[in-house]
Amino acid sequence: MSQFFMSILIIVFGGFLSLILARQFKLMKMVAVFSLSAGCFWGLFDAVTKLMQSGSDAASFKYLNVFSLAFQIDGLSAFFLVVIFAVCLVAVIYSFHYMDHSGEAVRTAVHYFFFSILIASMALVVTAANMITFMLSWEIMSLSSFFLVIYNYESSENRKAGYLYFVFSHVGAMFIFAAFGIVYGYTGSFGFGAMDSIPETAKIVVFIFSFIGFGSKAGVFPFHVWLPHAHPAAPSHISAVMSGVMIKIGIYGIVKMYTLLNFHTPLFGNIVLVAGVVSGILGVVYALGQHDLKRLLAYHSVENIGIILIGLGIGMIGVSSGNPLMAVLGFSGGFLHVLNHSIFKSVLFMGAGMVLHKTGTRTIDALGGLLKKMKITGATFIIGSLAICGLPPFNGFVSEFFIYIGGFKGIGLENSAFVMSIFAIISLAVIGGLALACFTKVVGVVFQGEPRTKAAVNVDEKGSTMLASMLILAGACIFIGIFPGAFIQMSIKAVSALGLGYGHVPLEPFGQMTANITFAAMVFLVSLLVVIAIRWFYYRGKTITKSGTWGCGFTQPTAKMQYTGSSYAASILEFFSPAAPLDEDHPKIKGRFPEKTYYKSHVNDIAELNMKGVIVNPVLFIFDKLRWIQHGDIHLYIGYILLAIVLLLFFI
Amino acid sequence: MIESIILWLLAILLAPFFSAIMFKVKAFFGGRKGSPLLINYYTLIKLFKKGSVYSTSTTAVFKLGPIISFTSAITVLMFLPIAGHHPIFSFNGDVIFILYLMGLGRFFTIAAAMDTASPFEGMGAAREAYFPIICEAAMFMILIFFYRLTGHLQLSAYFTGDNTIALWNLGGAPLLFIVISFFIILLTENSRVPVDDPATHLELTMIHEVMVLDHSGPDLGLIELGSFCKLFFYSTIVSRLILPFDFKISAMGYFVFVLGLIIVYVAIGLTESVIARYRMDKVPQFVLTSFALAFFATIITLEFI
Repeated sequence: MSQFFMSILIIVFGGFLSLILARQFKLMKMVAVFSLSAGCFWGLFDAVTKLMQSGSDAASFKYLNVFSLAFQIDGLSAFFLVVIFAVCLVAVIYSFHYMDHSGEAVRTAVHYFFFSILIASMALVVTAANMITFMLSWEIMSLSSFFLVIYNYESSENRKAGYLYFVFSHVGAMFIFAAFGIVYGYTGSFGFGAMDSIPETAKIVVFIFSFIGFGSKAGVFPFHVWLPHAHPAAPSHISAVMSGVMIKIGIYGIVKMYTLLNFHTPLFGNIVLVAGVVSGILGVVYALGQHDLKRLLAYHSVENIGIILIGLGIGMIGVSSGNPLMAVLGFSGGFLHVLNHSIFKSVLFMGAGMVLHKTGTRTIDALGGLLKKMKITGATFIIGSLAICGLPPFNGFVSEFFIYIGGFKGIGLENSAFVMSIFAIISLAVIGGLALACFTKVVGVVFQGEPRTKAAVNVDEKGSTMLASMLILAGACIFIGIFPGAFIQMSIKAVSALGLGYGHVPLEPFGQMTANITFAAMVFLVSLLVVIAIRWFYYRGKTITKSGTWGCGFTQPTAKMQYTGSSYAASILEFFSPAAPLDEDHPKIKGRFPEKTYYKSHVNDIAELNMKGVIVNPVLFIFDKLRWIQHGDIHLYIGYILLAIVLLLFFI
Repeated sequence: MIESIILWLLAILLAPFFSAIMFKVKAFFGGRKGSPLLINYYTLIKLFKKGSVYSTSTTAVFKLGPIISFTSAITVLMFLPIAGHHPIFSFNGDVIFILYLMGLGRFFTIAAAMDTASPFEGMGAAREAYFPIICEAAMFMILIFFYRLTGHLQLSAYFTGDNTIALWNLGGAPLLFIVISFFIILLTENSRVPVDDPATHLELTMIHEVMVLDHSGPDLGLIELGSFCKLFFYSTIVSRLILPFDFKISAMGYFVFVLGLIIVYVAIGLTESVIARYRMDKVPQFVLTSFALAFFATIITLEFI
């Protein structure tokens, strides 16, 4: 445990140092990046060792003699620690060249301070061993990330995003508090251990409350509304950390509650799976309709959280129907997808960050042809895209493969488990197809073709730390995709820590599966080499000429005529229009010589659309009626407090 | 193993021949004599002899497109039981790998099309990205049906030896739905009428053909050969489903298999001759039929088996 605390200490210390050194921009950056990455590296090393030895470690402190702060690292925490430290390590390295406005030295220093607090608090959340510690770290995590979201607070859009995030994370925290409160009401202790002794109906309520609370952090539909606003607002490496890691802490919360409640009703599995299917499909449909590159990626986080939840749901259904293989497949697939998504989503956000950095725009339809000038960014972005589509031989395929196999195990079952498995498999297939459509759109419109506006013409890619971090992560996507063995072992270690009563999970059948994936990837790669050789053979000594694109007879093509992202997605969006209503605005074209015209389109998120009418307006209405309580007279406020205490004395 | 590899090579070599049968049928219905049965070989040889012209808009992805789509097509064939024989490779879950590998091929075909900056190719790419989504759902529905019957998740468990007969014995009439559903997927995935018309004269209305407009020479050859292989993959499965017989004499087995293939290719040619292509917005409904059929087949087995 001391190793873990040491790494946290280094990270937080680095954050404080950056505040002190704020006036020396270069030095401050170097110190901050060095100590944060050193701390992350140490923590990563420690977490991997713990995970591999499947050891469990605990420590507790008394705070103010009232609350005890308890920490524990088991397989599950160690797995999430690996994800946290690995991605944050690369994100910190990336930030060195990304944060290059020396005029904003103080702001950069503050950003490093909150970044270090965010990393530390995420690590503390997953190691917390009682409710007090958990909520304390949870709130620190929410607040520190709030300050990172409003990094560019001058823009009113970002302030609005920050506000939305603040409200959502606190309403979410309220639900978690409510869940913990119910548990405390029954057990009278803040410890996690006694949670499985509460009655079953209470367990169901606790699970649903905590699912809403943690789900709002994870970005589960319909609690995801803050996510596509907040993630694009932050600097790109922070978006990567938030999308790749922070929302997974919500997943950790859901799994942790499931483990602690130790109640294997099919209901939990069904709730989680249906939430996963809805988030998965709607997330990718909304992503398809976005015009903003980072917002599009943020919606893909909703989709991938959906895939993770489908995996966990299959796992829970496997547990409740007494099918250990299905349970382990579902859970380990879900956990591995947590790791995989954190890797490829970070590549994509970092690539988007590079594009934003060099072109100054996030609008997809304003870009084009970037691959020619930004070779490394383009190549790593394409690798990330292939991985997020779940295509072999990249890492996204491995986790989806496990979830698929788990789902198919459920096909052999009866009744609701059978129906749920069909639901899971078909939606995974649809999500895969839609993700492919979405990322061919992004890659095709942003990186290929010709520049659509001036912003995309004179670009380059500079910043060795940015390029290096993208290369490392893209390399990881390929490596896990071809050699998933060790990583599946890690996620199975995390599954064993769930205490499903299977004792030691045998690695044999899963080892066979990963060997098959490696084998199939090898077969593909060897065939690829052979085909490249054949192609090379047929191109030997041939004349290769360069010419313009065939314009189908039209001789004056311009870059403006290229297919845009909006038109690319239009027909698919039309198919999903009941769930994703499209607002269009363009004046009618009149006369023989029409005037210059425009076209605007916006895909509405039904959760966001209905949030105002269903929740915000009624809440405002009620609070408006209660306005008379707030009269601004301090004596009466003190009276309220007294009255409340007196009333409470009657009840307790 | 040796036999499987020979069959695999034969499949790649003979795929262009079978596609020519389709053209012959169409020519017959059009009242023409039609091109010779070896026409596809002549085209391929011609293409492989040529050099290439690349658009100035394109990048390395444009060259990767044909390579990866062809590789994925031939890799997929390695997992396919041909004429009831064991495939070269097979493992539990290989169907999922195959379907996703075809997805990889599609990704690069689309990416190569988007690389040219041509509005026509972008339009084709958008359609190529759209219709297979529904196909994929239908494919997985069929897989669920097969898994429900056999408890396996690999092609060899469905299509080798007497497994297909066993499938019919287990599944019975609902399997007919699957055959039709699979045929619809075949038409969609291989861009045949009524989903796509590869022979149309207008780029605006094509899907697959317009995406490869800028490819030339050996690159185009690889694409063509890859799409023959892809069609062969689907046809083999349909052929095996409609003539599932297993013979002790292997020559008889091959004969029946080739007969099945010819039936499938003639059926595709017939479909192309008698149906006009659907309007683009009607296509999803047509493709959804395959999903609905597979879904009903599964529901029926749920009740009676």
